[in-house]
Amino acid sequence: MFLLGRVTYLLLRLARKKGTSLPGLLMWRWRKTLLSEWLNQLEQLIVVTGTNGKTTTTALLYSMLHDQDQPWITNQGGANLVQGLMAALSRHANWRGVLRVRKAVFEIDEATFPLIMERVRPTLMVVTNIFRDQLDRYGEIDHALSMIQKGIALHEASQLLINADDPLTAFLGRNRSLTYAFSMDKEAIASMTMVDSSEVRDGSFCLVCGHELHYDGFIYSQIGYYRCLHCDFTHPDAEFIGSPRQDASLVVGELSGLPGEPSTLHVDLTGMYNAYNLLCAYSAARIVGASPRRIQEGLRRFVSPTGRMQTFVGKQQSEITLALIKNPTGANGVLRAVVEDVQTYAICLTINDQDADGRDVSWLWDVDFESFVTRSNIRRYYCAGERALDMALRLYYAGVREEAMVIVEDLTTLPAVLFTLGQKTYVLSTYTALHRLAEWFERESEKRGNDLDE
Amino acid sequence: MIWMSKLLRIVHLFPELLNLYADQGNIAVLAKRAQARDCEVSVQRVKLGDSLDLENSDILVLGGGSDREQAVVAKELMRYRADLLTAIEAGLPVLAVCGGYQLLGHYYELPNHEKISGLGLLDFITKAGNKRLIGDIAISWLDEAGHDRGETIVGFENHGGRTIHSYPSLGRVLRGYGNNGDDQLEGLQYKGVVATYIHGPLLPKNPHLADDLLQKALRYRYGESFSWCSLDDQLAMRAHQFLLNRTLSR
Repeated sequence: MFLLGRVTYLLLRLARKKGTSLPGLLMWRWRKTLLSEWLNQLEQLIVVTGTNGKTTTTALLYSMLHDQDQPWITNQGGANLVQGLMAALSRHANWRGVLRVRKAVFEIDEATFPLIMERVRPTLMVVTNIFRDQLDRYGEIDHALSMIQKGIALHEASQLLINADDPLTAFLGRNRSLTYAFSMDKEAIASMTMVDSSEVRDGSFCLVCGHELHYDGFIYSQIGYYRCLHCDFTHPDAEFIGSPRQDASLVVGELSGLPGEPSTLHVDLTGMYNAYNLLCAYSAARIVGASPRRIQEGLRRFVSPTGRMQTFVGKQQSEITLALIKNPTGANGVLRAVVEDVQTYAICLTINDQDADGRDVSWLWDVDFESFVTRSNIRRYYCAGERALDMALRLYYAGVREEAMVIVEDLTTLPAVLFTLGQKTYVLSTYTALHRLAEWFERESEKRGNDLDE
Repeated sequence: MIWMSKLLRIVHLFPELLNLYADQGNIAVLAKRAQARDCEVSVQRVKLGDSLDLENSDILVLGGGSDREQAVVAKELMRYRADLLTAIEAGLPVLAVCGGYQLLGHYYELPNHEKISGLGLLDFITKAGNKRLIGDIAISWLDEAGHDRGETIVGFENHGGRTIHSYPSLGRVLRGYGNNGDDQLEGLQYKGVVATYIHGPLLPKNPHLADDLLQKALRYRYGESFSWCSLDDQLAMRAHQFLLNRTLSR
């Protein structure tokens, strides 16, 4: 066992240098054994799963928990499959395969969740939300739920944190002990309820009896204050309650009996969905014992992960904010944040249809562009990526005039085009174009910065 | 005759259940194209528990859902079965996509031989296959006599079911799987019914099919077809052509 671990470790090191993964069944079996070995050495483990917001929540949580005196391991940048965990752990293992750091916070893909859960003893399991995910569409919405349910069922003795505002997630904590919940303030939800929205609410059925849920207010998708009129299923009481403020800060009150005062949290992230990510991360950090002060300090070190509202600045006040979109709910959240930013001049939607993006682009029609077009005063719509034309057609039906649209045929020209606008632009992109765009924007903004110095 | 504003009533059946493939996109296209021809359009969303007023329906749209949701819908619609049969025989246009397509038949047989009842409005069945048939699809559009209309239909398909029927097909598969992956045929057409596995959604990139459905609806309601203006479909056809070329070259 010892030798096996060592060989695998060396191979992994080698593989990482080349930036590839070593294929083959044998390698996979070695790695599976080694992964279990490493996971077993962890003394504290938080796993974050759900369909949306995993990456940002995990990054926030990591910033709240990790410092030089008390280091934590994390899988950064959305590498949430087995390979991502291996890479993260190997960085902290010595040549004998022994971990130097024994605490970890991992985001785990919902499809891999049961597989990983078989190999660990988590301190805390966190479920952010369960939305219809484009990639998961083949199995439809119930699939994500059943995978997460399966993983959680393996650990009755572990703590669980759920999103009380999401009926699908809340269902997981029903009649379960050691379960905590977070929720937005009921009044905040009521004040944000949009009646004119044509969003698709997929999860708005009672999982206990199958009837449509009654909502006293909802924020987006199936998130809100709900109850079933036909059985006892209802929005659970939450231990952590968030109130979003006008200045984009979030005040969190606690009913958990944990020591500490209500905290006011500031972080450089926009959008209601990020308020949820922040509330979720805060609650998780509190459950594992971090003090509000420590959390506040940690948040100051927080850096937004790639494409989660990352901002690039160029000359002449050109500013580009990059955001990942991958399913209707995520996209609706980002669009709301864009509407709130009244200085926005243009928006660019980059839609690819590779496997990692989802090959079926019909989800674009479930995004509520109609509300967006009515509520925002965007002057120009850029459509890019392999399915730029599908995107343009979608916008046309949402009421965007063709004169206001630009179809970008060559993606590589995009940074130059957007950085010469002298305006504020949001770029929303599916997965496979995201990292390339981030790199180009970074390079372009550095170049522009240098020009400015001369 | 003098062109007068015609009322066209689109009925979207159970959008809260059958919404897997963005079928509201199809509704948007039908409504917008009819309005552009000076029709007055109403869109009614019939939800679970609502009653369906077939007398005041000019076109029905039935989308796709999960097996569980399909079963719920079949049960709900069963009480309208006799009226639906009569309306379909009289030419009521029905656009049925994916799960909605399967619902029109007698049943959908799962791998464990369990049968999810359909409405039995048309005489066919669907059986689950081993793997899902997923990917871009292009077909040549056929008329009811099986002749090529000289136009194509493009989109995406994603279905586990294999459907075999003896009605005229909607088209011949150029690339992709179609009804069952075997006979190179896709979809079904019978009087006003257009049923297909193609989504994406179906109509935005296939405006000619949308117009065909609208003409059928006007004929059904007003007893005659209309000559109307063609619309500027450059953007739609660019998107159509792009996907067609890419699908055919794979």
